[in-house]
Amino acid sequence: MAARRGATVELREVTKSYGDTVAVDHLSLTAPAGRISVLIGPSGCGKTTSLRMVNRLIEPTSGEILIDGQNVLREDPTELRRRIGYVIQQVGLFPHRTIGQNVATVPELLGWPVARIRARVDELLSLIGFDPARMRDRYPAQLSGGERQRVGVARAMAAEPPLMLMDEPFGAVDPIVRERLQNEFLQLQRTQGITVIFVTHDIDEAIKLGDRIAIMRAGKLVQYATPGELLAHPADDFVARFVGSDRGLKRLALLTVGGAELDPPIDPSRLDGAPVLSPSMSLRDALAEMLASETQMGMVRDGDNYLGVLTLSHIGRLLRTEDRE
Amino acid sequence: MTPGEPLVRWDWIASHAADIGQRIGEHLELTVIAVMVGFLIAFVLSLLALRVPRLYGPITWTTGILYTIPSLALFALLIPYTGLSLLSAEIGLVSYTLLILIRNIVAGVRGVPVEVRDAARGMGYTERQILWRVELPLALAVIFAGIRVATITTIGLVTVTALIGQGGMGYFILLGIQLFFSTALIVGALGSVLLAVLADGTLVLVQRALTPWTRAG
Repeated sequence: MAARRGATVELREVTKSYGDTVAVDHLSLTAPAGRISVLIGPSGCGKTTSLRMVNRLIEPTSGEILIDGQNVLREDPTELRRRIGYVIQQVGLFPHRTIGQNVATVPELLGWPVARIRARVDELLSLIGFDPARMRDRYPAQLSGGERQRVGVARAMAAEPPLMLMDEPFGAVDPIVRERLQNEFLQLQRTQGITVIFVTHDIDEAIKLGDRIAIMRAGKLVQYATPGELLAHPADDFVARFVGSDRGLKRLALLTVGGAELDPPIDPSRLDGAPVLSPSMSLRDALAEMLASETQMGMVRDGDNYLGVLTLSHIGRLLRTEDRE
Repeated sequence: MTPGEPLVRWDWIASHAADIGQRIGEHLELTVIAVMVGFLIAFVLSLLALRVPRLYGPITWTTGILYTIPSLALFALLIPYTGLSLLSAEIGLVSYTLLILIRNIVAGVRGVPVEVRDAARGMGYTERQILWRVELPLALAVIFAGIRVATITTIGLVTVTALIGQGGMGYFILLGIQLFFSTALIVGALGSVLLAVLADGTLVLVQRALTPWTRAG
Protein backbone atom coordinates (compact mmCIF):
# COMPACT_ATOMS: atom_id res chain seq x y z
CA MET A 1 0.00 0.00 0.00
CA ALA A 2 1.26 3.43 -0.96
CA ALA A 3 1.99 5.95 1.73
CA ARG A 4 -0.85 8.37 2.31
CA ARG A 5 -0.16 11.34 0.15
CA GLY A 6 -3.58 12.91 -0.10
CA ALA A 7 -4.02 16.62 0.47
CA THR A 8 -6.14 18.21 3.17
CA VAL A 9 -8.79 20.56 1.84
CA GLU A 10 -10.28 23.21 4.02
CA LEU A 11 -13.20 25.45 3.11
CA ARG A 12 -13.55 28.50 5.34
CA GLU A 13 -16.74 30.51 5.26
CA VAL A 14 -17.02 30.04 1.51
CA THR A 15 -19.90 31.92 -0.09
CA LYS A 16 -21.02 32.11 -3.70
CA SER A 17 -23.81 34.42 -4.69
CA TYR A 18 -25.27 35.26 -8.06
CA GLY A 19 -26.91 38.65 -7.61
CA ASP A 20 -29.44 38.15 -4.84
CA THR A 21 -29.30 34.38 -5.03
CA VAL A 22 -26.94 32.71 -2.59
CA ALA A 23 -25.83 29.36 -4.00
CA VAL A 24 -23.38 28.54 -1.22
CA ASP A 25 -23.73 30.22 2.14
CA HIS A 26 -20.74 30.45 4.50
CA LEU A 27 -19.71 26.86 4.01
CA SER A 28 -16.92 25.63 6.26
CA LEU A 29 -15.66 22.10 6.25
CA THR A 30 -12.46 20.11 6.14
CA ALA A 31 -11.93 17.17 3.82
CA PRO A 32 -9.30 15.05 5.59
CA ALA A 33 -6.27 13.74 3.73
CA GLY A 34 -6.64 10.38 2.03
CA ARG A 35 -10.35 10.16 2.72
CA ILE A 36 -13.52 10.41 0.70
CA SER A 37 -15.72 13.32 1.72
CA VAL A 38 -19.15 13.28 0.12
CA LEU A 39 -21.27 16.37 -0.54
CA ILE A 40 -24.92 15.46 -0.80
CA GLY A 41 -28.29 17.18 -0.84
CA PRO A 42 -31.29 17.90 -3.02
CA SER A 43 -30.92 19.62 -6.41
CA GLY A 44 -29.86 23.23 -6.06
CA CYS A 45 -28.37 22.76 -2.58
CA GLY A 46 -25.00 24.08 -3.75
CA LYS A 47 -23.04 20.83 -3.70
CA THR A 48 -21.75 21.06 -7.28
CA THR A 49 -21.04 24.78 -6.94
CA SER A 50 -19.00 24.03 -3.80
CA LEU A 51 -17.03 21.34 -5.61
CA ARG A 52 -16.31 23.55 -8.60
CA MET A 53 -14.99 26.32 -6.39
CA VAL A 54 -12.20 24.07 -5.16
CA ASN A 55 -10.54 24.02 -8.60
CA ARG A 56 -11.81 27.50 -9.40
CA LEU A 57 -14.10 26.57 -12.24
CA ILE A 58 -16.33 28.86 -10.20
CA GLU A 59 -14.85 31.75 -8.25
CA PRO A 60 -16.09 32.14 -4.67
CA THR A 61 -17.70 35.46 -3.78
CA SER A 62 -15.99 35.37 -0.39
CA GLY A 63 -14.21 32.98 1.92
CA GLU A 64 -11.06 30.90 1.60
CA ILE A 65 -10.25 27.50 0.21
CA LEU A 66 -7.01 25.93 1.38
CA ILE A 67 -5.29 22.88 -0.04
CA ASP A 68 -2.60 21.73 2.38
CA GLY A 69 -2.70 25.22 3.82
CA GLN A 70 -2.27 27.00 0.47
CA ASN A 71 -5.01 29.39 -0.55
CA VAL A 72 -6.18 28.30 -4.01
CA LEU A 73 -7.38 31.81 -4.79
CA ARG A 74 -3.75 32.96 -4.87
CA GLU A 75 -2.73 30.36 -7.44
CA ASP A 76 -2.92 30.37 -11.20
CA PRO A 77 -6.20 28.54 -12.01
CA THR A 78 -4.82 26.37 -14.82
CA GLU A 79 -1.76 25.36 -12.79
CA LEU A 80 -4.07 24.56 -9.89
CA ARG A 81 -6.41 22.43 -12.01
CA ARG A 82 -3.54 20.38 -13.38
CA ARG A 83 -2.77 19.27 -9.84
CA ILE A 84 -6.36 18.26 -9.09
CA GLY A 85 -8.15 15.30 -10.65
CA TYR A 86 -11.57 16.10 -12.10
CA VAL A 87 -14.31 13.64 -13.02
CA ILE A 88 -17.84 14.52 -14.10
CA GLN A 89 -20.99 12.52 -14.71
CA GLN A 90 -20.95 12.92 -18.48
CA VAL A 91 -17.25 12.00 -18.36
CA GLY A 92 -16.32 14.44 -21.12
CA LEU A 93 -13.70 12.25 -22.76
CA PHE A 94 -12.20 13.92 -25.83
CA PRO A 95 -13.89 12.14 -28.75
CA HIS A 96 -11.03 12.96 -31.12
CA ARG A 97 -8.32 11.52 -28.91
CA THR A 98 -7.66 7.84 -28.30
CA ILE A 99 -8.08 6.30 -24.87
CA GLY A 100 -4.32 6.48 -24.36
CA GLN A 101 -4.21 10.13 -25.42
CA ASN A 102 -7.14 10.95 -23.17
CA VAL A 103 -5.43 9.43 -20.16
CA ALA A 104 -2.20 11.23 -21.11
CA THR A 105 -3.89 14.66 -21.12
CA VAL A 106 -2.60 16.16 -17.88
CA PRO A 107 0.88 14.56 -17.98
CA GLU A 108 1.22 16.09 -21.46
CA LEU A 109 0.11 19.48 -20.18
CA LEU A 110 2.70 19.16 -17.43
CA GLY A 111 5.39 18.32 -19.98
CA TRP A 112 6.31 14.84 -18.75
CA PRO A 113 8.82 12.99 -20.95
CA VAL A 114 7.13 10.80 -23.57
CA ALA A 115 8.44 7.52 -22.13
CA ARG A 116 7.15 8.36 -18.67
CA ILE A 117 3.74 9.29 -20.07
CA ARG A 118 3.53 6.03 -21.99
CA ALA A 119 4.45 3.97 -18.95
CA ARG A 120 1.94 5.83 -16.78
CA VAL A 121 -0.87 5.40 -19.32
CA ASP A 122 -0.29 1.65 -19.50
CA GLU A 123 -0.09 1.43 -15.73
CA LEU A 124 -3.42 3.24 -15.34
CA LEU A 125 -5.16 1.25 -18.04
CA SER A 126 -4.11 -1.94 -16.25
CA LEU A 127 -5.24 -0.46 -12.96
CA ILE A 128 -8.78 0.02 -14.30
CA GLY A 129 -8.79 -3.52 -15.65
CA PHE A 130 -7.99 -2.83 -19.31
CA ASP A 131 -5.47 -4.57 -21.50
CA PRO A 132 -3.34 -1.56 -22.54
CA ALA A 133 -2.32 -3.07 -25.87
CA ARG A 134 -5.94 -3.70 -26.79
CA MET A 135 -7.52 -0.47 -25.51
CA ARG A 136 -4.85 2.20 -25.87
CA ASP A 137 -5.58 3.14 -29.48
CA ARG A 138 -9.36 2.95 -29.41
CA TYR A 139 -11.58 6.00 -29.52
CA PRO A 140 -14.13 6.82 -26.79
CA ALA A 141 -17.00 6.10 -29.21
CA GLN A 142 -15.88 2.46 -29.25
CA LEU A 143 -16.34 2.01 -25.49
CA SER A 144 -19.36 1.18 -23.35
CA GLY A 145 -20.66 3.70 -20.81
CA GLY A 146 -18.99 1.88 -17.93
CA GLU A 147 -15.68 1.66 -19.75
CA ARG A 148 -15.77 5.38 -20.55
CA GLN A 149 -16.45 6.15 -16.92
CA ARG A 150 -13.39 4.08 -15.92
CA VAL A 151 -11.25 5.95 -18.43
CA GLY A 152 -12.56 9.22 -16.97
CA VAL A 153 -11.30 8.17 -13.54
CA ALA A 154 -7.96 6.99 -14.96
CA ARG A 155 -7.54 10.28 -16.82
CA ALA A 156 -8.17 12.22 -13.62
CA MET A 157 -5.57 10.15 -11.74
CA ALA A 158 -2.92 10.29 -14.46
CA ALA A 159 -0.65 12.94 -12.98
CA GLU A 160 -0.92 11.45 -9.49
CA PRO A 161 -2.98 14.27 -8.02
CA PRO A 162 -3.22 14.45 -4.22
CA LEU A 163 -6.86 15.47 -4.62
CA MET A 164 -9.73 14.40 -6.86
CA LEU A 165 -13.02 16.20 -7.38
CA MET A 166 -15.81 13.93 -8.57
CA ASP A 167 -19.26 15.16 -9.58
CA GLU A 168 -21.72 12.25 -9.71
CA PRO A 169 -19.15 10.18 -11.58
CA PHE A 170 -21.21 7.00 -11.53
CA GLY A 171 -24.59 8.62 -12.08
CA ALA A 172 -24.97 7.84 -15.76
CA VAL A 173 -24.46 4.07 -15.71
CA ASP A 174 -26.89 1.29 -14.84
CA PRO A 175 -27.09 0.04 -11.22
CA ILE A 176 -25.08 -3.14 -11.75
CA VAL A 177 -22.21 -1.36 -13.49
CA ARG A 178 -22.42 1.45 -10.93
CA GLU A 179 -21.99 -0.99 -8.06
CA ARG A 180 -18.93 -2.50 -9.74
CA LEU A 181 -17.42 0.89 -10.54
CA GLN A 182 -17.97 2.00 -6.94
CA ASN A 183 -16.17 -1.08 -5.61
CA GLU A 184 -13.29 -0.67 -8.04
CA PHE A 185 -13.03 3.00 -7.21
CA LEU A 186 -12.99 2.37 -3.45
CA GLN A 187 -10.20 -0.14 -3.93
CA LEU A 188 -8.26 2.30 -6.10
CA GLN A 189 -8.75 5.20 -3.71
CA ARG A 190 -7.63 3.15 -0.71
CA THR A 191 -4.46 1.94 -2.38
CA GLN A 192 -3.55 5.32 -3.85
CA GLY A 193 -4.43 7.27 -0.71
CA ILE A 194 -5.94 10.14 -2.66
CA THR A 195 -8.18 12.70 -1.01
CA VAL A 196 -11.55 12.74 -2.74
CA ILE A 197 -14.40 15.22 -2.65
CA PHE A 198 -17.40 13.48 -4.13
CA VAL A 199 -20.76 14.95 -5.09
CA THR A 200 -23.83 12.73 -5.33
CA HIS A 201 -27.57 12.90 -4.75
CA ASP A 202 -27.73 9.19 -3.94
CA ILE A 203 -27.65 8.60 -0.16
CA ASP A 204 -26.79 4.91 -0.58
CA GLU A 205 -23.77 5.85 -2.67
CA ALA A 206 -22.78 8.43 -0.05
CA ILE A 207 -23.00 5.87 2.76
CA LYS A 208 -21.10 3.29 0.78
CA LEU A 209 -18.24 5.50 -0.38
CA GLY A 210 -18.04 8.32 2.13
CA ASP A 211 -15.68 8.41 5.06
CA ARG A 212 -17.52 11.60 5.89
CA ILE A 213 -20.78 12.93 4.51
CA ALA A 214 -21.74 16.60 4.30
CA ILE A 215 -25.47 17.11 3.93
CA MET A 216 -26.30 20.46 2.35
CA ARG A 217 -29.54 22.32 2.00
CA ALA A 218 -30.10 25.70 0.33
CA GLY A 219 -26.38 26.44 0.25
CA LYS A 220 -25.82 25.67 3.92
CA LEU A 221 -24.10 22.76 5.60
CA VAL A 222 -26.69 20.93 7.71
CA GLN A 223 -24.59 18.07 9.04
CA TYR A 224 -21.08 16.79 8.47
CA ALA A 225 -20.44 13.39 9.99
CA THR A 226 -19.39 9.80 9.37
CA PRO A 227 -22.06 7.60 7.76
CA GLY A 228 -22.61 5.81 11.08
CA GLU A 229 -23.14 9.04 13.02
CA LEU A 230 -25.39 10.44 10.34
CA LEU A 231 -27.66 7.39 10.42
CA ALA A 232 -27.65 7.08 14.19
CA HIS A 233 -28.02 10.77 15.00
CA PRO A 234 -29.48 12.84 12.19
CA ALA A 235 -29.12 16.50 13.13
CA ASP A 236 -32.69 17.41 12.31
CA ASP A 237 -35.86 16.24 10.54
CA PHE A 238 -34.50 17.29 7.17
CA VAL A 239 -31.47 15.03 7.53
CA ALA A 240 -33.61 12.21 8.94
CA ARG A 241 -35.96 12.42 5.96
CA PHE A 242 -33.04 12.72 3.58
CA VAL A 243 -31.27 9.60 4.83
CA GLY A 244 -34.59 7.78 4.66
CA SER A 245 -37.01 6.03 7.02
CA ASP A 246 -35.00 2.85 6.53
CA ARG A 247 -31.96 4.40 8.14
CA GLY A 248 -31.94 1.61 10.74
CA LEU A 249 -31.46 -0.92 7.97
CA LYS A 250 -28.83 1.28 6.36
CA ARG A 251 -26.93 1.35 9.64
CA LEU A 252 -27.06 -2.43 9.83
CA ALA A 253 -25.33 -2.46 6.45
CA LEU A 254 -22.40 -0.63 8.07
CA LEU A 255 -22.17 -2.97 11.08
CA THR A 256 -20.82 -6.52 11.09
CA VAL A 257 -21.87 -9.70 12.82
CA GLY A 258 -18.52 -9.71 14.61
CA GLY A 259 -19.41 -6.43 16.34
CA ALA A 260 -22.68 -7.72 17.77
CA GLU A 261 -23.20 -9.39 21.11
CA LEU A 262 -23.88 -13.12 20.78
CA ASP A 263 -25.56 -15.84 22.84
CA PRO A 264 -23.17 -18.60 23.85
CA PRO A 265 -23.08 -21.61 21.51
CA ILE A 266 -26.00 -24.01 21.81
CA ASP A 267 -26.41 -27.51 20.45
CA PRO A 268 -26.30 -27.25 16.66
CA SER A 269 -29.23 -29.66 16.37
CA ARG A 270 -31.43 -26.93 17.84
CA LEU A 271 -30.30 -24.61 15.04
CA ASP A 272 -31.62 -26.80 12.29
CA GLY A 273 -32.21 -24.67 9.18
CA ALA A 274 -30.56 -21.59 10.70
CA PRO A 275 -28.12 -19.71 8.46
CA VAL A 276 -24.39 -19.88 9.11
CA LEU A 277 -22.97 -16.37 9.51
CA SER A 278 -19.37 -15.20 9.40
CA PRO A 279 -18.11 -12.35 11.62
CA SER A 280 -17.28 -10.18 8.61
CA MET A 281 -20.82 -10.34 7.23
CA SER A 282 -22.91 -7.18 7.44
CA LEU A 283 -25.73 -7.27 9.98
CA ARG A 284 -28.15 -6.29 7.24
CA ASP A 285 -27.35 -9.40 5.22
CA ALA A 286 -27.38 -11.51 8.40
CA LEU A 287 -30.81 -10.17 9.29
CA ALA A 288 -32.15 -10.98 5.85
CA GLU A 289 -30.96 -14.58 6.13
CA MET A 290 -32.24 -14.99 9.69
CA LEU A 291 -35.70 -13.67 8.79
CA ALA A 292 -35.88 -16.13 5.94
CA SER A 293 -35.10 -19.11 8.20
CA GLU A 294 -37.55 -20.84 10.54
CA THR A 295 -35.52 -20.39 13.70
CA GLN A 296 -34.99 -16.62 13.27
CA MET A 297 -31.47 -17.19 14.58
CA GLY A 298 -28.03 -17.38 13.02
CA MET A 299 -25.07 -19.62 13.84
CA VAL A 300 -21.92 -17.50 13.86
CA ARG A 301 -18.82 -19.34 12.73
CA ASP A 302 -15.36 -18.13 11.90
CA GLY A 303 -14.17 -20.97 9.73
CA ASP A 304 -14.35 -24.07 11.97
CA ASN A 305 -14.67 -21.98 15.09
CA TYR A 306 -18.26 -21.89 16.39
CA LEU A 307 -18.52 -18.49 18.11
CA GLY A 308 -22.14 -18.28 19.22
CA VAL A 309 -25.69 -17.50 18.22
CA LEU A 310 -27.06 -14.25 16.86
CA THR A 311 -30.71 -13.46 17.58
CA LEU A 312 -33.08 -10.75 16.40
CA SER A 313 -33.14 -9.17 19.84
CA HIS A 314 -29.34 -8.74 19.73
CA ILE A 315 -29.69 -6.78 16.53
CA GLY A 316 -32.49 -4.64 17.93
CA ARG A 317 -30.53 -3.95 21.08
CA LEU A 318 -27.49 -2.92 19.08
CA LEU A 319 -29.52 -0.34 17.14
CA ARG A 320 -31.04 1.03 20.34
CA THR A 321 -27.78 1.30 22.28
CA GLU A 322 -26.05 3.01 19.39
CA ASP A 323 -28.91 5.49 19.25
CA ARG A 324 -28.29 6.49 22.84
CA GLU A 325 -24.58 7.06 22.40
CA MET B 1 -26.00 26.77 -83.42
CA THR B 2 -25.75 26.22 -87.10
CA PRO B 3 -28.08 23.52 -88.45
CA GLY B 4 -26.20 20.40 -89.48
CA GLU B 5 -23.41 21.12 -87.05
CA PRO B 6 -22.86 18.15 -84.62
CA LEU B 7 -23.43 18.80 -80.88
CA VAL B 8 -19.82 17.94 -80.05
CA ARG B 9 -16.94 18.29 -82.49
CA TRP B 10 -14.30 15.93 -81.15
CA ASP B 11 -11.66 17.19 -83.56
CA TRP B 12 -12.02 20.68 -82.06
CA ILE B 13 -11.53 19.29 -78.57
CA ALA B 14 -8.46 17.34 -79.70
CA SER B 15 -6.90 20.35 -81.36
CA HIS B 16 -7.58 22.55 -78.30
CA ALA B 17 -6.33 20.08 -75.65
CA ALA B 18 -3.49 22.34 -74.55
CA ASP B 19 -5.80 25.31 -74.26
CA ILE B 20 -8.32 23.28 -72.26
CA GLY B 21 -5.57 22.07 -69.95
CA GLN B 22 -4.42 25.61 -69.33
CA ARG B 23 -7.94 26.82 -68.59
CA ILE B 24 -8.44 23.94 -66.14
CA GLY B 25 -5.31 25.08 -64.35
CA GLU B 26 -6.59 28.64 -64.30
CA HIS B 27 -9.96 27.48 -62.99
CA LEU B 28 -8.34 25.56 -60.17
CA GLU B 29 -6.04 28.45 -59.33
CA LEU B 30 -8.93 30.90 -59.10
CA THR B 31 -10.83 28.45 -56.90
CA VAL B 32 -7.98 27.55 -54.57
CA ILE B 33 -7.00 31.17 -54.01
CA ALA B 34 -10.62 32.16 -53.36
CA VAL B 35 -11.31 29.35 -50.88
CA MET B 36 -7.99 29.77 -49.07
CA VAL B 37 -8.23 33.54 -48.74
CA GLY B 38 -11.92 33.22 -47.93
CA PHE B 39 -11.13 30.66 -45.23
CA LEU B 40 -8.47 32.85 -43.65
CA ILE B 41 -10.81 35.84 -43.49
CA ALA B 42 -13.72 33.69 -42.31
CA PHE B 43 -11.52 32.06 -39.66
CA VAL B 44 -10.44 35.38 -38.18
CA LEU B 45 -14.01 36.72 -38.23
CA SER B 46 -15.30 33.47 -36.67
CA LEU B 47 -12.79 33.63 -33.82
CA LEU B 48 -13.88 37.20 -33.26
CA ALA B 49 -17.55 36.19 -33.23
CA LEU B 50 -16.82 33.32 -30.84
CA ARG B 51 -14.97 35.58 -28.45
CA VAL B 52 -17.43 38.48 -28.70
CA PRO B 53 -20.79 36.80 -29.34
CA ARG B 54 -22.63 40.06 -30.05
CA LEU B 55 -20.48 40.52 -33.16
CA TYR B 56 -21.82 37.33 -34.69
CA GLY B 57 -25.05 39.04 -35.80
CA PRO B 58 -23.41 41.95 -37.65
CA ILE B 59 -20.78 39.65 -39.20
CA THR B 60 -23.30 37.20 -40.65
CA TRP B 61 -25.56 40.09 -41.64
CA THR B 62 -22.78 41.78 -43.63
CA THR B 63 -21.48 38.61 -45.27
CA GLY B 64 -25.11 37.63 -45.91
CA ILE B 65 -25.62 40.81 -47.94
CA LEU B 66 -22.42 40.11 -49.87
CA TYR B 67 -23.75 36.65 -50.58
CA THR B 68 -27.01 37.96 -52.04
CA ILE B 69 -25.44 40.41 -54.51
CA PRO B 70 -25.88 38.92 -57.99
CA SER B 71 -22.45 37.82 -59.17
CA LEU B 72 -22.80 39.47 -62.57
CA ALA B 73 -23.52 42.81 -60.92
CA LEU B 74 -20.73 42.43 -58.37
CA PHE B 75 -18.06 41.82 -61.00
CA ALA B 76 -19.36 44.72 -63.09
CA LEU B 77 -19.27 46.98 -60.06
CA LEU B 78 -15.65 46.08 -59.37
CA ILE B 79 -14.36 46.92 -62.86
CA PRO B 80 -14.03 50.70 -62.27
CA TYR B 81 -11.87 50.03 -59.22
CA THR B 82 -9.81 46.96 -59.93
CA GLY B 83 -10.28 46.53 -63.66
CA LEU B 84 -10.43 43.31 -65.66
CA SER B 85 -8.06 41.61 -63.28
CA LEU B 86 -7.47 38.55 -61.16
CA LEU B 87 -8.01 40.81 -58.16
CA SER B 88 -11.53 41.73 -59.31
CA ALA B 89 -12.36 38.07 -59.77
CA GLU B 90 -10.97 37.07 -56.38
CA ILE B 91 -12.70 39.88 -54.49
CA GLY B 92 -16.00 38.61 -55.81
CA LEU B 93 -15.24 34.93 -55.33
CA VAL B 94 -13.88 35.38 -51.82
CA SER B 95 -16.86 37.42 -50.69
CA TYR B 96 -19.21 34.62 -51.72
CA THR B 97 -17.36 32.04 -49.58
CA LEU B 98 -17.48 34.03 -46.34
CA LEU B 99 -21.04 33.45 -45.13
CA ILE B 100 -21.03 29.68 -45.44
CA LEU B 101 -17.54 29.33 -43.97
CA ILE B 102 -18.19 31.60 -40.98
CA ARG B 103 -21.47 29.91 -40.23
CA ASN B 104 -19.91 26.47 -40.25
CA ILE B 105 -16.81 27.39 -38.26
CA VAL B 106 -18.91 29.05 -35.56
CA ALA B 107 -21.53 26.29 -35.54
CA GLY B 108 -18.81 23.63 -35.40
CA VAL B 109 -17.09 25.18 -32.41
CA ARG B 110 -20.37 25.92 -30.63
CA GLY B 111 -21.46 22.35 -31.24
CA VAL B 112 -18.68 20.91 -29.08
CA PRO B 113 -20.42 19.18 -26.15
CA VAL B 114 -20.50 21.26 -22.95
CA GLU B 115 -19.09 18.39 -20.89
CA VAL B 116 -16.06 18.06 -23.15
CA ARG B 117 -15.29 21.74 -22.73
CA ASP B 118 -15.90 21.48 -18.98
CA ALA B 119 -13.58 18.50 -18.65
CA ALA B 120 -10.91 20.32 -20.66
CA ARG B 121 -11.10 23.37 -18.41
CA GLY B 122 -11.23 21.25 -15.28
CA MET B 123 -8.06 19.42 -16.25
CA GLY B 124 -6.12 22.61 -16.77
CA TYR B 125 -6.26 23.49 -20.45
CA THR B 126 -5.94 27.22 -21.04
CA GLU B 127 -8.66 28.90 -23.10
CA ARG B 128 -6.32 28.98 -26.08
CA GLN B 129 -5.51 25.29 -25.70
CA ILE B 130 -9.21 24.47 -25.48
CA LEU B 131 -9.78 26.29 -28.79
CA TRP B 132 -6.88 24.76 -30.71
CA ARG B 133 -6.68 21.30 -29.20
CA VAL B 134 -10.32 20.53 -28.44
CA GLU B 135 -12.86 22.80 -30.08
CA LEU B 136 -11.35 23.26 -33.54
CA PRO B 137 -10.41 19.58 -34.02
CA LEU B 138 -13.92 18.55 -32.98
CA ALA B 139 -15.42 21.20 -35.27
CA LEU B 140 -13.45 19.87 -38.26
CA ALA B 141 -16.30 17.79 -39.67
CA VAL B 142 -18.69 20.77 -39.71
CA ILE B 143 -15.95 23.12 -40.95
CA PHE B 144 -15.17 20.73 -43.79
CA ALA B 145 -18.83 20.60 -44.74
CA GLY B 146 -18.60 24.37 -45.14
CA ILE B 147 -15.38 24.19 -47.14
CA ARG B 148 -16.98 21.67 -49.49
CA VAL B 149 -20.01 23.85 -50.18
CA ALA B 150 -17.80 26.94 -50.56
CA THR B 151 -15.53 25.11 -52.98
CA ILE B 152 -18.32 23.78 -55.16
CA THR B 153 -20.02 27.17 -55.23
CA THR B 154 -16.76 28.88 -56.12
CA ILE B 155 -16.00 26.45 -58.95
CA GLY B 156 -19.38 27.30 -60.46
CA LEU B 157 -18.93 31.02 -59.95
CA VAL B 158 -15.46 31.05 -61.49
CA THR B 159 -17.12 30.58 -64.91
CA VAL B 160 -18.87 33.95 -64.48
CA THR B 161 -15.51 35.70 -64.09
CA ALA B 162 -14.94 34.98 -67.79
CA LEU B 163 -16.85 38.23 -68.28
CA ILE B 164 -13.97 40.16 -66.70
CA GLY B 165 -11.27 38.34 -68.60
CA GLN B 166 -10.67 35.48 -66.12
CA GLY B 167 -12.92 32.49 -65.88
CA GLY B 168 -11.11 29.16 -66.41
CA MET B 169 -13.67 26.91 -68.05
CA GLY B 170 -16.00 29.92 -68.22
CA TYR B 171 -13.89 31.10 -71.16
CA PHE B 172 -15.25 28.21 -73.24
CA ILE B 173 -18.81 28.85 -72.13
CA LEU B 174 -18.51 32.48 -73.18
CA LEU B 175 -16.87 31.42 -76.45
CA GLY B 176 -19.70 28.97 -77.10
CA ILE B 177 -22.32 31.65 -76.49
CA GLN B 178 -20.58 34.24 -78.66
CA LEU B 179 -19.95 31.86 -81.59
CA PHE B 180 -23.12 29.77 -81.21
CA PHE B 181 -20.70 26.87 -80.87
CA SER B 182 -22.08 24.01 -78.80
CA THR B 183 -18.80 22.11 -78.43
CA ALA B 184 -17.10 24.93 -76.53
CA LEU B 185 -20.21 25.47 -74.41
CA ILE B 186 -20.31 21.81 -73.41
CA VAL B 187 -16.57 21.62 -72.76
CA GLY B 188 -16.84 24.66 -70.47
CA ALA B 189 -19.95 23.54 -68.60
CA LEU B 190 -19.07 19.85 -68.25
CA GLY B 191 -15.49 20.72 -67.38
CA SER B 192 -16.66 22.95 -64.57
CA VAL B 193 -19.04 20.32 -63.22
CA LEU B 194 -16.35 17.65 -63.41
CA LEU B 195 -13.91 19.87 -61.52
CA ALA B 196 -16.53 20.40 -58.81
CA VAL B 197 -17.14 16.68 -58.43
CA LEU B 198 -13.43 15.90 -58.27
CA ALA B 199 -12.73 18.71 -55.81
CA ASP B 200 -15.55 17.54 -53.56
CA GLY B 201 -14.28 13.97 -53.62
CA THR B 202 -10.78 15.12 -52.76
CA LEU B 203 -12.05 17.17 -49.83
CA VAL B 204 -13.99 14.19 -48.51
CA LEU B 205 -10.80 12.12 -48.56
CA VAL B 206 -8.82 14.86 -46.81
CA GLN B 207 -11.49 15.20 -44.16
CA ARG B 208 -11.50 11.46 -43.51
CA ALA B 209 -7.75 11.46 -43.10
CA LEU B 210 -7.96 14.36 -40.66
CA THR B 211 -10.85 13.00 -38.54
CA PRO B 212 -10.18 9.29 -37.97
CA TRP B 213 -12.34 9.28 -34.81
CA THR B 214 -15.54 9.94 -36.74
CA ARG B 215 -15.33 6.47 -38.25
CA ALA B 216 -14.71 4.74 -34.92
CA GLY B 217 -17.50 3.09 -32.99
